[in-house]
Amino acid sequence: MILTPELRARLERLSIVTRRRVSAQWSGRHSSRHKGESLDFADYREYVPGDDFRRIDHNLWARLGVLLIRQFEAEEEMPLKVVIDTSRSMSFYGKFEVARVLAGMLSYMGLAGGDRVQLFAVPGDEGRSLRIGPVGRHLSQWSRLESWLEDLEPTQAGSLASAVRRLSGEGTVRGSLILVSDLLTPDWQPALDGLAVGSGGVVLHVLGQEEMEPDLAGDLRLADSESGGELAVSTSEDTMRRYRDALERFALEAQGRARRSGLDYVLVPALPGAADQVLSALARAEAVR
Amino acid sequence: MSFLIPAAFGLAALAGPLIVLYMLRSRRQRVEVPSTLLWEQLDLPVSSAVPWQKLRLTPLLILQLLVLAAFVLTLARPFYTQQTLLGPHTVFVVDTSGSMAMGGRLERAKAQALDLIGDLSEANQVSVVEAGPQPEVLVAFARDPELVSDALNGLVATGGRADLSGAIRLARGLATPDRPTSVLIFSDGGDAPLPEEPVAGADFVRLDDIGPNLAVTVWSLDPSTEGTTRGFLQVSNFSAEAVSARAEVTVNGLTAGFVDLEIAALADARQTTPIDAGPGDIVTVNLVDNADALSLDDRASLVVGGGPDRAVSIIGSGSPFLGALVDAVPGFSSADEGPADVLIIDGGALPEIDRPTWLIAPTAAPEGVTITELVRNTAVTYQRPGEPILDSVDLSEVAVAQAQVVTAPRWLTLVRAGDVPLILLGEVNGQRVAYFTFDLTHSNLVVQVGFPILGARILEWLGGGSAGEVSSEPAGTPIAVAAPTAPVAQVTLPDGTVRDLTSGTAAFVDTGQPGVYRVDYRAEDGTLIEGPVAVRTFVADESEGAVRQIATGGGAIAEEEPSTLIREWAPWVIGLVLLLMAVEWWVGHQRPGWSRRRSREGTLAT
Repeated sequence: MILTPELRARLERLSIVTRRRVSAQWSGRHSSRHKGESLDFADYREYVPGDDFRRIDHNLWARLGVLLIRQFEAEEEMPLKVVIDTSRSMSFYGKFEVARVLAGMLSYMGLAGGDRVQLFAVPGDEGRSLRIGPVGRHLSQWSRLESWLEDLEPTQAGSLASAVRRLSGEGTVRGSLILVSDLLTPDWQPALDGLAVGSGGVVLHVLGQEEMEPDLAGDLRLADSESGGELAVSTSEDTMRRYRDALERFALEAQGRARRSGLDYVLVPALPGAADQVLSALARAEAVR
Repeated sequence: MSFLIPAAFGLAALAGPLIVLYMLRSRRQRVEVPSTLLWEQLDLPVSSAVPWQKLRLTPLLILQLLVLAAFVLTLARPFYTQQTLLGPHTVFVVDTSGSMAMGGRLERAKAQALDLIGDLSEANQVSVVEAGPQPEVLVAFARDPELVSDALNGLVATGGRADLSGAIRLARGLATPDRPTSVLIFSDGGDAPLPEEPVAGADFVRLDDIGPNLAVTVWSLDPSTEGTTRGFLQVSNFSAEAVSARAEVTVNGLTAGFVDLEIAALADARQTTPIDAGPGDIVTVNLVDNADALSLDDRASLVVGGGPDRAVSIIGSGSPFLGALVDAVPGFSSADEGPADVLIIDGGALPEIDRPTWLIAPTAAPEGVTITELVRNTAVTYQRPGEPILDSVDLSEVAVAQAQVVTAPRWLTLVRAGDVPLILLGEVNGQRVAYFTFDLTHSNLVVQVGFPILGARILEWLGGGSAGEVSSEPAGTPIAVAAPTAPVAQVTLPDGTVRDLTSGTAAFVDTGQPGVYRVDYRAEDGTLIEGPVAVRTFVADESEGAVRQIATGGGAIAEEEPSTLIREWAPWVIGLVLLLMAVEWWVGHQRPGWSRRRSREGTLAT
């Protein structure tokens, strides 16, 4: 079980807020860029034959002598894509376990809000860049999504940028997107830049405590878990200071690139209580309410 | 601090290679991390090509240098010197008189001596002389502490008086010219000054533990007019308070009655009591419920004498002195008719010897004795020392007009005139035989003061094994056990232990225990023949527990050397080495911070 009953009860009272109007096939709870049948007035337009003449504003016709049709806001479902990084680097320091909880948490929240939630894993199986997961529109489908998440194992290396390209189909990702990743891949920058998301989203940047404060000493050969490449490092106070500076730059740059792509950014240390921390951060950013 | 092997400090140079090892850059440890992405951005100068690195004084290096230092120190064998009572050769003279049983004096003496044994090294030798009634060298020139310890631990207090003078003479006899010898006397000082005080070359360890003591100082048995035995008991109170005492009287181990006494402080109480005991019974008196400082004197035993007289038949010229002697010796009487228990052959032919016999210059020698010639006008020149038969008998004035010259290699010669044996003891056909090589009428022996005593003792020896007179002497007095030839004898001590005596042993000397000694002879066919019973009593003077300072002159008997002991620090230094090695191991392998890192590395490598 990814989410505890207490957390699930909490999540059912929250919903994801879209920054932009959604464009979807099915009606839902989010404002659509299309005009619809809601009670919220949106605009006028000239009458064209075939329009429902019940929407003609008779007051304006009387005053102006022009036939104008009243248009109302449409409410449509929001496509919510939850992308979880299952690269091998996520297997360290409990990052993947935290990432899985976060992905499940936001998926559950989307289902509770009536969103169309679809899960993705990066990288995919058998050399594919993306693994497409199940889709859910209601809480009753949560168990299917949860089961899929539970089956994921962070074992392979892959390209985040390729996955993003495939996800967006060289265009804009429709709906909202949640990316849960440590971004420790050489193409993390183009990946974030390529995330043109229609209705916003959030990048949950999960890093292990040992990555933030490495406890290494002596002369070492650091072996990259994904590429296998080795790097000779002689640790010292200066080395560790420079590492911390690089990490800070990394996080700031990731935040900047995410923002430019219309995404919120939360740096999540892989520690117990990460879920609460993320919910608080998203609430402050008004990404959930 | 000095060092036995200072050259070992050269090994301290090993610190150089150790430090060099720390300055050598170690092979990089491979650590798997999620990604090297951030590390690659650091643009770090990696100096793996340089084999050296700056020396860092890590706790591990400091500990290893300390281990090396301690190890070198161990090999250098540091030592210090210590003054000790042990010299190059030290003779422990340990008093085992009865008073040494008071208040644990002997145990304290042994403890102090054993403590000194801890200083024993290759440079020291130790001898142990037991100063009991019969001084004895237990260990001579020993370097083995275990040997000396065994001898010391085997010491027990006797019931007799210590012959300290004899023991010191024995100790001095152990001195050798090449090795300074000192004597260490562990004693309470005895009750009289030694003839040679101050004792030169000796140190005195005074043992003066004392406590209240209640002692059986007199216990005697006499036949009473009622036909029973009357016991006379005297109990002495050596404490400053009046006490009540109860004495249990046992006959052959069975309670025969109790005697209650009220004894004033530092006084004696006496009482007689009738005892239903006959000849040969062992009558013991024992102070019950008496927890005093000296327990050896709480008990005394006697054997009831008497019984039918031994019949003595005198065959031969019949010196009137012999007849008078037989009639005068208690327990013996002349046998005019009937079988005799003891024969006296006064000259004449040699009969078949089938009973104890006293041969006085017979015309033919018995088995084992050869008469070679006669010697005239000779005089006593030798009396066998320590021989109970000759105790207090002075024969130095005895002259002999004519004596047989005999050779008797298996017989015990008691008295000689030059090389000519005059009085011998032996055995013929399993019977005791006393042999006088001269006719009594051809000597002045019969007019000597000691003749009745000598004659009585010879009769007693010949009549040994009967329940007649039982010798009662102070503890430590030897017991005449047998003729010097077979059969083998065995002695049952008061505590029940049985000692086998080798053939030819004339006296049993280990009589320190007060109590009843029973001698038995083992015939060649293995059967036991009852021998004499002897009683050895606790010497009453020892009950007081008097303590006296023995004056010593100091200095060694031979040339004196300072008595210093080399004590090595090795146990401590080795302990330090082990401790440092343990700490070094812990720091290197078990330190919590390190183990956490190792655990983390294990996770990294997953």
